[in-house]
Amino acid sequence: MSFLRQSKRAKKLLVAAVCLLLAYFLTPVLLNQPAHWLIREDQLARADVIVALGGDNRCNREKRAAELYRQGWANKVVVSGIQYAWGIHTAEAGKRYVVSLGVAESDVLMIRDTPNTRVEAMALEQLMRERGWRSAIIVTSAFHSRRAMYTVERAARDLTFHSSPVAPEAPEWQPDRWWSRRGDMFITAREFVSWTNTLVSGWQ
Amino acid sequence: MAVTGRKRRWLRRAFVSLVLFLAVCIAVFFALPRLLIAPMNAARSDVILHVAIDPHSKADDYVAHLYRQGMAGKIVCISSQVSWEVYPADYVREHVISLGAPAENVTTLHLPLVPCAGVAVPMIAEFVKARGWKSALLICQPEDSRYAGWMAGRIFEQAGIDLSVSYAPEDKEELMQAWWRTHWKVQRFVGKAMNIALDLFYSECR
Repeated sequence: MSFLRQSKRAKKLLVAAVCLLLAYFLTPVLLNQPAHWLIREDQLARADVIVALGGDNRCNREKRAAELYRQGWANKVVVSGIQYAWGIHTAEAGKRYVVSLGVAESDVLMIRDTPNTRVEAMALEQLMRERGWRSAIIVTSAFHSRRAMYTVERAARDLTFHSSPVAPEAPEWQPDRWWSRRGDMFITAREFVSWTNTLVSGWQ
Repeated sequence: MAVTGRKRRWLRRAFVSLVLFLAVCIAVFFALPRLLIAPMNAARSDVILHVAIDPHSKADDYVAHLYRQGMAGKIVCISSQVSWEVYPADYVREHVISLGAPAENVTTLHLPLVPCAGVAVPMIAEFVKARGWKSALLICQPEDSRYAGWMAGRIFEQAGIDLSVSYAPEDKEELMQAWWRTHWKVQRFVGKAMNIALDLFYSECR
């Protein structure tokens, strides 16, 4: 101890070592926490419609929506998507998928040409008002769930929304140690950029 | 006085570092097209691998043109799914056939959804090798060309296949027009640069 008191360099080295150790043990906690914050899951309640938001190449959102429909949480399912090219429409593909999973074709509606969550929220609000629906279960990927809910709730403050995201399990995005997987790293970083864009009402 | 002088020196150093950092960022930003886009190199090959599948691309016409010129005897359209059982490669195949390539010479390769190109390219190389093709011409997006040439070139070389990389000249022309003022063009260049940088940190993507 007297050595430490006497030597400035030793003191600095000790402080640096402690800082490095703290950084080593705290960084995972500090990085995991914001990723967990991205997820919003509400208590499920019966609603007028289940909405599978677009943008999931794996179609796990549509799969979850069909599962909730079969469990009787709502009588209608809305799928969303965009006109891609060469006649491809991802909403139509989503519709075919939920029908193949047991949803009655007459119970499936589509929101078309929704390139991002804000446009999707506006289209959903319009559809819900047209149909006289007052509540919806929003199904999306876990990483997208809090931003999606923030966006739809702002678009229609008088309507009720419940979040029921796809489970964050492989091969889907997972919040724990997201930086250690290439795909999850990109998704997480992009989601925080998208949050910034949403909060400043930037590009649509 | 001595403390104030030291503080001032530190502030000056911090300011100069910040200015230098910003200057480097701006220089790299404007150098992105030069860094990412390689010169076109369409060499005569056994097969054309068409991965430039994008609704706004002119690559289909370019691929059909290369085929008509006899640059390759086969075309493979390659993509992963964009929705449930929807592979744009299937639609691109139809389009390329409608542009004059015979149906029996145009096939598709469906890729699984993977986190980076470094995982997909060995699958493509395997596909090419399994058919006994010794050389391939990869048609990609202009901003993918340099990285694809380096990364895919290395993987194809290991598989004993010669690879050349090219892109539709109209795509490059379109991409370069006032690119720094156009949102989607900036997004494509910056997104590509970010993806390449990220790939370097993950062994499966290198």
